[in-house]
Amino acid sequence: MGEPAALRTTRSGEVGARTAPSGRPLERGTIGSSIAVRDAVKRYGSFHAVDRISIDIEPGEFITLLGPSGSGKTTLLNLVAGFQSLDSGEILVDGKPVHNVPTHKRGFGMVFQSYALFPNMTVSQNVAFPLRMAGVDRATTDRRVAETLEIMRLTEHATKSPSQMSGGQQQRVAIARAIVRRPRVVLMDEPLSALDRRLRESIQIEIRDLHRTIGSTILFVTHDQGEALTMSDRIAVLNAGKIVQIGRPLDIYRHPTDRFVASFVGESNLIEAEILQKRGSTLTMKNRAGYVFNAESRDTIDVGRATVLVRPERIAVSNEPTANSTRVSVTSAIFLGEILRIEANMEGGEPLLIRCTDMAVRPLPSVGDRLHVSWGAADCWVLA
Amino acid sequence: MTSASIGVQADRPAELDLVRRLKDPALLLLPALAFLAFIYLLPLIDLIRISVSGPSWSSYFARVFAIPLYWDSLVRTMQISVTVAGLCLLFGYPTALLIHRSRGIAQVLIATAIVLPYFIAILIRTYAWMVLLGRNGPVNKLLVSVGILSEPVQLLFNRGTVLLGMTAVLLPLMVLTIYSSVARLDQSLTRAALASGAGPIAAFWRVLLPLTLPGMGAGFLLVFVAAIGFFITPTLLGGPSDQMFAMHITQQADSVTSEGFLQALGVVLLTITLAVVAVAGRFLGFEFIWGGRKLTEAAPTTTDRHAADAGRRSFGASAADLIGWPLLRLFGRLPASFGTWTVRLMGGLVITILILPIIVVMIISFSSASYLTFPPPGFSFRWYEQFFSDSNWMRAFWTSLVVAAMSAGIAIVLGASAALGIVRSSIRGKSTIMLLLVSPIIVPPVVLGLSLYSLFLRFDMVGSVFGLAAAHAIGGLPLVVVILSASLQGVDTRLEQAAAVHGASFPTVFRLVTLPAIMPGLAAATFFAFLHSFDELVLTLFLSSAELKTLPLMLWGDINYRLNPVLAVVSTLEVLLVVAGLVLARPVLATSRKAT
Repeated sequence: MGEPAALRTTRSGEVGARTAPSGRPLERGTIGSSIAVRDAVKRYGSFHAVDRISIDIEPGEFITLLGPSGSGKTTLLNLVAGFQSLDSGEILVDGKPVHNVPTHKRGFGMVFQSYALFPNMTVSQNVAFPLRMAGVDRATTDRRVAETLEIMRLTEHATKSPSQMSGGQQQRVAIARAIVRRPRVVLMDEPLSALDRRLRESIQIEIRDLHRTIGSTILFVTHDQGEALTMSDRIAVLNAGKIVQIGRPLDIYRHPTDRFVASFVGESNLIEAEILQKRGSTLTMKNRAGYVFNAESRDTIDVGRATVLVRPERIAVSNEPTANSTRVSVTSAIFLGEILRIEANMEGGEPLLIRCTDMAVRPLPSVGDRLHVSWGAADCWVLA
Repeated sequence: MTSASIGVQADRPAELDLVRRLKDPALLLLPALAFLAFIYLLPLIDLIRISVSGPSWSSYFARVFAIPLYWDSLVRTMQISVTVAGLCLLFGYPTALLIHRSRGIAQVLIATAIVLPYFIAILIRTYAWMVLLGRNGPVNKLLVSVGILSEPVQLLFNRGTVLLGMTAVLLPLMVLTIYSSVARLDQSLTRAALASGAGPIAAFWRVLLPLTLPGMGAGFLLVFVAAIGFFITPTLLGGPSDQMFAMHITQQADSVTSEGFLQALGVVLLTITLAVVAVAGRFLGFEFIWGGRKLTEAAPTTTDRHAADAGRRSFGASAADLIGWPLLRLFGRLPASFGTWTVRLMGGLVITILILPIIVVMIISFSSASYLTFPPPGFSFRWYEQFFSDSNWMRAFWTSLVVAAMSAGIAIVLGASAALGIVRSSIRGKSTIMLLLVSPIIVPPVVLGLSLYSLFLRFDMVGSVFGLAAAHAIGGLPLVVVILSASLQGVDTRLEQAAAVHGASFPTVFRLVTLPAIMPGLAAATFFAFLHSFDELVLTLFLSSAELKTLPLMLWGDINYRLNPVLAVVSTLEVLLVVAGLVLARPVLATSRKAT
């Protein structure tokens, strides 16, 4: 039948075969599948939850769908999982369309926001479930479950019921269940959103390392930009059912394509300025207050008005005027520990957010203080 | 204002202590408890007293069990009840899944098709089956016209129709109970099973079914307990060999000589019912009766069962390896559409069984024929004219309205106060009090009617409107308490605290925050209490007189005497009443269902 090769391998019992699909080079034991989404559309009435999204995911890639709630990221994940069907377009796994393959035959692993551990089974029964369904014999199942519990540091909890465990432990069980079959694709739907910050950060690293070990393709959904930046090979930023930008975390952060990405990922100052002159990829610009500065940009920008992104931590602050500096007046200053967060007004009244490291020589400014700020061409990015 | 009042408080602690005690919300429970103690517990205790007042305490009971007629009937009642509960479970589960899985307008329609019959009087729904299966009914007509039968036959008055009728009457109870347990589950559990490679059937078997087992148990027992005390449906649809236990009590009630023996029959029925409920409550928690959340002292005791199971597991595991898992995987190969279609077909059948009789009766009410026949030869309003011009019917109709209004009034005042008391006080033994308040739902109406009859005779209240309304309120009270305590639990107490912090006094808080929040619940509770009394037949059979006839009583008399389309008119009016009530109460139902 037209069943993808990937799925056939997982179902035949020999799970986690380390052969890459047709002639693709093996790297760090990649078992992941490639996923291609082409012009995917999912409507609810007149609302386009997913609006002609196309994305190519490399085998073994860790890709994050990042966006605010209602941006369509979870719908896209559900489409890949097979919980919902496309209105148009197609999804290919290892080059083969999967629209006729029901969820349980896709052979993916999945981690849910609510953990979705079966309350009627123990931890080890939960983890064994996918293997049992795949028809793996009991001896192998027991061994694989033990291994997986070991990896997730859950061995001593094997006979507990999920309700007896903490949120972080439950989430690790859910991850164990998702990876026990060594699936080619693991889908994660905001798996960390119910955990507190410290736990979230430690599990982020755990998932990151796990991805390196097992080499599955991971499709991770989150609304937390920090999480996306920490974990992903690439990030796809979604808004209103469309992918706004896709790229490496560094690119997304440093070179966002528009105001939405710039303000959704990280804190940002978006400064309206007039382009005075263009020399190569460097522009000379002037903001409303008359501050003249250089900025890097794409080649396509012409003379006119533009929005410039300046990240708060890229702004240099001093108490005395320096070359190319402009004066701001402080409206608020907060000590956050390792950094100071300063809000100030530029001379034209535009607000400016500054983050600078806490240094012994720098006193915490008080409201109304004058500071002198500047930034270099490499510290700004002109949005299209 | 605060500093002054604090000063006063510090000065007079003793007086304040009394004031505080008088303000304890637990006192709000007293009216309802007093009411139930007098009109419900006392008569039941008296019933038991009479039943043991023979030459020796057990002499009446010895007679009950010595006469084969009663013993056989008891066994038959058990058989019928178990079968009905089983049938309800078999067909109710897919129907609950169908409601759960459908979306939008389809879900509303399907849910309405289940809920609507739930609120229509058992008498009327049974009558609809008599019409449907009668000699001139649509089923006979259809079978003759397609050539399966050469002439109409008697389809009624056998075991099959009793089972069909009782199952149809009790199905909504089962569906709603299971639905609430299915809807409570985390949706992603099924998805997790699918994502783990379980086919839809394996996911159902390993995840959905085990997790809804308590709901299934609750549904089965509720239906079983209701069926044990059933009286109307088997009387109308059954033959001489389908006598159920409750029917003997009403038959014996006419002869004065059976004092003591009669009560013994009632006690036997009551004991069986309570025993079943007690065993069920032991395993499911008594909350299953009212399908609500635990009220207080809800410390879930997690026993480490799994460790104890380890020894037994090896045998079970090898059996599972050998048969269970391969079988499950095999079923997993079945296309998903298999399960979907099973659910749709069975659910569709249930909806047909529930709705078809009602529709047929509504059509017949407009018949121009002078006897019951379907399809009607022509349409007219003649039966409506006859109904509205017949002074007997109109008097009964009016009596029913008055009794139902009074009964709803009693139930809502006592019930609302009790609900406030139980939700807002911090007394111990809330579960026990709740159980007492709700228990009239469980007691077979025949037993309740019998026990009340003695009480009413003693106080000369037989045939009194107020007495009848109060008796009906026994059953209305639990409905009010359950609905309103769910509403009250839904009110965020922090809202009340917020209002109080910002300077609102207690009455103001109640008027501005609490009352608006429970208003929909209050409206729904009033409607259901009204409807409960309006539909009530069994207690009325015991407590009314020749001068005091309610609508159901008139219907009952007519159904036994002659089947004519006037009854269809009454049924149609009742359906319209329920539909109107449901439309008004729909927003409430939607929210309270989510809450429970």
